[in-house]
Order: sequence, then C-alpha cells, then structure tokens
Amino acid sequence: MPSRPLKVFVAIVFVCGAAAASSQQSGPSADATRRAVTAADAFFSTLTPAQRAKANLDLNEKTRTVWSNLPTGIAMQVGATERNGLKLGDMTPPQEKAALALVAAVLSRDGYQKAMQVVDADQLLEERSAPTRKPGSQTRFGRAEYYVAILGKPSTTDLWMIQFGGHHLAINVTVAAGQNVLAPTHTGAQPASYQLEGRMVRPLGDENDKAFALVNALTDEQRKQAILGFEVRNLVLGPGADGKTIAPEGVRASAFNAAQRKMLTDLTREWVDIIGDAAAAARIKDIEAGLGETYFAWAGPTTNGKGAYFRIHGPTVFIEYAPQGSGDNNIDHIHTIYRDPTNDYAAKAARR
Amino acid sequence: MKRLLPIIALLVLVMPVRTVAHQLDEYLQAARIAFARDRIVLEIDLTPGANIAGEIVAALDSDGNGVVQALEARAYGQAVVGDFDVSFDGQPVHLTLETIEVPAVAEMRRGVGTIQLTVAGTIGPAPDGTRHVRFTNRHHPETSVYLANALVSADRDVQVVSQRRDYRQQQIDVEYKIGSRWPLQFIWVLVGVTVIGSRVAARQLRTA
Repeated sequence: MPSRPLKVFVAIVFVCGAAAASSQQSGPSADATRRAVTAADAFFSTLTPAQRAKANLDLNEKTRTVWSNLPTGIAMQVGATERNGLKLGDMTPPQEKAALALVAAVLSRDGYQKAMQVVDADQLLEERSAPTRKPGSQTRFGRAEYYVAILGKPSTTDLWMIQFGGHHLAINVTVAAGQNVLAPTHTGAQPASYQLEGRMVRPLGDENDKAFALVNALTDEQRKQAILGFEVRNLVLGPGADGKTIAPEGVRASAFNAAQRKMLTDLTREWVDIIGDAAAAARIKDIEAGLGETYFAWAGPTTNGKGAYFRIHGPTVFIEYAPQGSGDNNIDHIHTIYRDPTNDYAAKAARR
Repeated sequence: MKRLLPIIALLVLVMPVRTVAHQLDEYLQAARIAFARDRIVLEIDLTPGANIAGEIVAALDSDGNGVVQALEARAYGQAVVGDFDVSFDGQPVHLTLETIEVPAVAEMRRGVGTIQLTVAGTIGPAPDGTRHVRFTNRHHPETSVYLANALVSADRDVQVVSQRRDYRQQQIDVEYKIGSRWPLQFIWVLVGVTVIGSRVAARQLRTA
C-alpha cells in the first residue's frame, strides 16, 4: 500500500505532466497545426486518386531532402530529377487554390507574400527566357513549375511535412504537433527587383537592406572582424548540404550593443518569420538566447546597391545570402539558405 | 521622344537576358574539409558552367562516346587530386581519391551538373595540441571560383580554432586543436577533490 506522501508525489507528477502535455496541444501553435491538417484534407479532397498518390508521399530521410534551387528539368543536388508532389501547372484552378491555401496555412502573411513574390519573379524569368530557349531544352521556369507535396499523414500529433518549391524556392515546413519547423528552407530571386502592376517588387529586398544597415552600424573594430578577407561567390551550405556544419567566422554578437543585437535579430526574422507567428516566436526566442554565440560575417562591398555575401551563424540558426556571379550583374540574382543546426526537419521532435 | 518609345520597347524585348541559374564561364569548386585525429577528408563539389563544360566533359569522357564510364571518372578524379596539395604541420600529406560521382553529360553541358569527390589523407594518430593544415587547390585556376571551409568535426575533441584564406579561396590554412575537452590537470584536481571529500565525509559519519 503506497504511503500518503508517495500518493501526493505521484499526483503532483501526473498533474504537471498533464499540464505540460496540454500546453503542447493548445494555444496558437496547436491552432496552426489544426489549420494545416484541415487545409491538407481540403487539398486532398480536390484531387483525383492518381493525383493524390503523386501529391502525398511517405516522409522519410530520402523524400524530405528532395528540394533544390534549380529550375525544373535539371537533376537536383540530391540526384532526384523531379520535385516531390504535384506542380501548379498540372492542377485545376480549384486544386491550385486549395494547394496554395495549404501553403498559406503554415506560413505567416508576410512569409506567404515573400514566397509568391519569388514565384512571380520566376514567372517573369520564364517569359523573358522562353523565346530564346534552345530546342529540346527541358529547363523550365515560371509559376506552373512550382510543386506542392505532403510527406507523411497530416496529423495533429505526428510529424509530417509540407513542401512548396520550384526555381529559387524550397519551403520545407515540418508540422510537429504545435512546434512547426521551417528549416531547412531556400529562397532566391532572379530578377531580384521587378515591376508588377505598377509597383516595384523586391522579394529579398528587406534581407539586403537590413544587412547593409547592420554592417554599417558596426564599429570599425567590429567591422574588421566581420568582413572576411576573401570573396564568397556562392552558398556554402546550400541545397544538398544537409547535416553539415562549418566552423563559424566573423564578428561575435556577444560584442554587440543592444541596438546592434536588435538589428541582427530583425535581419534573422526575414527568414524565421516566413513560418506562422507562433512557431517563429519560439525560434526567435531560441535565437535570442544564443545571440552571445552567434557570428555575423560579411564578404564584399558595404555600400548598399552593390552585391555582398553575408552569413549569420549561431547555435540554432545558419543563414547565408549569396549574390550570384560578379560585377554589377550579381545584385539581380540571389540565393539564400536558412538552416537550424540543431533542428532541421524537426530533428528534436523526431528524436522524441 | 514619343516616337522613340516603340524602339526603346523593342530594344528591351530583344535584349539578351541572363537566365541561367549559374555562371556560364566559371568552374565552381567548393571544398569542405573535415578533421579527425587520424585523417583529413576533403569533400569537393565541382560544377562547370555551360561555356566551359565542353572542356571538362572532354577530359572526363576520354573515349568520346558520350557516356562517362567509372574508369574514366576515376581517371579524371585522380587528375583533379593531383592538383591538390595538403600539408599537415608543414609536412605534405598523401591524398587518396575515395569516391567520385559524375552527373549526366547533358546536365554538365547545361552548366548544372556537379561532380562530387571524396578525398582523404591519413595523418596517423595526431598528437594533442594545436595542429595546422594547409589545403591548396590548383585545379583550373584560370576559370574557377573557389569555396573552402572547415567543417565542425564529429569528434568533439577536435575543434577548429581559425581559418585563413587567400582572396579567391584557392588556399586555406586551418588551425585546430586536438585534445580532451577536460585538461589532464583538471581531471587530477577533480579526482583529488573527490578523494578528500569522501574521506572527510566518512570521518564525519564515524564521529557522528
């Protein structure tokens, strides 16, 4: 017969455990998961059985890595020749609407807008390049070439994934029972600025401008540490480099004042905030906690309007922004990557 | 001016547009260097741009039949490794090509195929302390863009201390430390404190 103190102890442990479990299953994060499941089911309901089989694949270590910066028609870094899922060009208007509603369900309003601006830039690229395309070329750009896939079974408790990607875009959201994870995700832009319906659009303009503002807000000594003495002409840990961690370089943010720290966090948010608000808030909290061990590195000119590479590397964040090519052309073709060295594809939740 | 507008519009439409995902005339060579106590591993990604891919394909496909056979790939890989120099604490390291993967010729010709090599150098069980490795890449210097980075070691007792490169990243010098994260002196102090503490505790128990 258990003693009374033991019973009280067991009761306290049970109540605490229930409260902890409940805190993971309720609140804004859990709402986001439920919205995602509802949107996934709605998308499935628009598909034929054959389409559904193509759109919904198993979630495993191989399928989740099938994403790239490259256009359609080219083998990806991981060897696959086609992205997972169904492409927008093969969907009916109601199917496309449901597919994009699914993507919107797991992204913030600004994040979704950024993703669609990347798509719009690529549509422009397709319109410009199609007339001069070599006969027989399989390479395709444009809105029709963006794929939506669901990996795993949509669930409020188990891991599953939503992928939305095409040339210069790979949104990989692992839905993890109220703790959704955006990493790894790739954004890019070509052209990096364009006119649409009478207004100038720069999909990655804030990333660029905030970075230049930060490097120019550093002291001379800090800037000396931040600026790498060599050129960096591409992403170091781009698509296909899952699981790699390079040694950090640049200036350590532990030396930053409050204003500089805020600028660094705001810059980081340009990637982290692509995902829905609750998930982003949790990631930002982690990133702020690790700011003392976060490095900011820069390669290239420090005058905004010119192309420069930068990197943010902390315990739970790895971001690169890399203009492609050299000279004045490189500001119109950008590649970026966002990773979480501790939690790509929701590795923490997978371990649990 | 109004009469010029259609001409300007036409010029904009017919102007050549750079639509490739990668630079046409560059050979991108990305090196990631992994360190362990007894060896150094180079992970190399080689991506020739479309304008120079013909030259690389010709070197790879030595019999010109349009397909790169395993032996041809291996021969090309050996030639690439011959353009690498690695030194460990000032002494040259013999490099061995472990693996090479070659994409389809058509992809390389479009400037998007990446040749992947794994190259290893044995350094024996390196002694504890600060060690220095220099990697120099002399492969296709005229047209290449280089990246060179040290990877964080899987062995937590091996830690990168510093990286220095030339402007093009053709050469990288890496200093890294090998050794237990707990210095020997600290371990002896810990043992001493534990022994003394347990004796004091035992004495107090006896007197109580």
